[in-house]
Amino acid sequence: MKAIDIKKLTKYYGRSKGIIDVSFSIDEGEIFGFIGPNGAGKSTTIRTLLNLIYPTSGSASIFGKDIVKDTEDIRRMIGYLPSEVHYYDDMRSKDLLSYSAAFYKKDCTKRITELAERLDLDLNKKIEDLSFGNRKKVGIIQALLHEPKLLILDEPTSGLDPLMQNIFFELLEEENKKGVTIFFSSHVLSEVQKMCGRVAIIKDGKLIKVESIENLTGNHFKNVTIAFKAADSDIDIDGIIKKEKKGNELKLLYKGESDKLIAELSRHQLKDLLIEEPTLEEIFLHYYE
Amino acid sequence: MILFYREFKRNYKALLIWTLVMAALMLMMLSIYPQFAEQQEAIEQMMSAFPEAMIKALNMDKLSMGDILGFYAIECYLMITLFGSVYAVMLGSSILAKEENERTIEFLLSKPIKRTSVITQKLMLVAVNLVIFNSLIAVVNIIGFSFTKDNNVDMSIFALLSAGPLLLHLVFAALGFFISSVVRKSRNILAISLGIVFGTYFLSLIANMAEKMEFLKYISPFQYVEAADIILTESIKPLYLLVMLALIAISTAASYYIYNRKDISV
Repeated sequence: MKAIDIKKLTKYYGRSKGIIDVSFSIDEGEIFGFIGPNGAGKSTTIRTLLNLIYPTSGSASIFGKDIVKDTEDIRRMIGYLPSEVHYYDDMRSKDLLSYSAAFYKKDCTKRITELAERLDLDLNKKIEDLSFGNRKKVGIIQALLHEPKLLILDEPTSGLDPLMQNIFFELLEEENKKGVTIFFSSHVLSEVQKMCGRVAIIKDGKLIKVESIENLTGNHFKNVTIAFKAADSDIDIDGIIKKEKKGNELKLLYKGESDKLIAELSRHQLKDLLIEEPTLEEIFLHYYE
Repeated sequence: MILFYREFKRNYKALLIWTLVMAALMLMMLSIYPQFAEQQEAIEQMMSAFPEAMIKALNMDKLSMGDILGFYAIECYLMITLFGSVYAVMLGSSILAKEENERTIEFLLSKPIKRTSVITQKLMLVAVNLVIFNSLIAVVNIIGFSFTKDNNVDMSIFALLSAGPLLLHLVFAALGFFISSVVRKSRNILAISLGIVFGTYFLSLIANMAEKMEFLKYISPFQYVEAADIILTESIKPLYLLVMLALIAISTAASYYIYNRKDISV
């Protein structure tokens, strides 16, 4: 049985499109990434899976259960972290978490304390007094406390500092080892690369590709910015997909072996050099179309 | 019932404040009744100097201020019906909209709870709060009557005068709830809801004043539970009762229908 199975899911908001004909599936036990630029339809897909919004056409199932008909059963099995967490202003973190636990008819006090310790969160503070990052932590605990079989996380790392992100990823790995399926969206390629086995890439409401991380990173795209000492210097080797020259500065989108690039660069006198990961948009523009 | 308890906790303070303020107003009003009763002739003379329209609007042509229930109907009843309806419509229209407005609905609806159950528990809370509100005020009024030393209060009529406002409040709360399930912007929800309360109250005043405008009384729920009618006929008209129950039933059913199909946007 698939953890998530999406078939030709389409959602229109009035006349404007949300997602069109999105189909993919996630196996049980997978860590699956969902990437795309802002407004591509990631949240729309996720919110449809939770039945917060109704699909215009198409269908999807989670652990074999229909997302519209069996939504209550599905929600019992999943933990959801929305991209923006908003909670009741009269509650302390403690109150919100025990309110959340009550819906699952489970005693989660021990797990709440454990998770709060791991994430370094003071449970006695009022939620409205918490910083954005700390509020996110409440959201993370809220999604994990009832030990769900599937975690759906919408941009989970936004607002967390790098240290917390690491702890969070550790938590996810532990959960995954216990057999929990994880589906999370992001617009940052690197964090998806770190965690996921496979990713689905979405743009303008359409699914572009479902690809394993190995294949995706095997492509070795690099953004290279070179500042030469001499204005007439130039580089011309295989693997340069795009070249942009402005005075002493040369900008490349490079796909190929790093060795070759470095060998070529060493023949020139450089003032400065920057090699970075291209943004998702650049990959979309130059590879997927 | 988790949601019901949560809502009770969240709303009891407002309930307490509204009840206390209303009860204090009632007692204040009732405390001036003995003087009224003593100087009845003088007061009736003074009343006759008032414009006729005003006397009609407040039903003073049909009721006597020298009688405790008459006095209650003219001085106190208006406050319970009008201010109570404001409380009811605010409670009814905000209880669901608040979750969407504060974007907590995404949290709530990611928990294992049906939308139908969300509505049921919230409606229950509204109904329970309104019953508590009206019952406490009725008790305070009975205590107030006992201080006036006017022992011939007809309790069956007073029971009707207490049940009427409760029904009215339930009608406005159900309407407010329905509006909040349809309208997306919460600022508009409260404006429309309060507009309905004051609008229909105004219509009710006009219906009393001008005989030509009498048809208006079928539009205004305030007319359905008019104190003068209740005291004079010793009953709430079955037709009005039916209309009120139908309004509650239809608004509630429509809320369920609409909310179960609504896209939750945050």
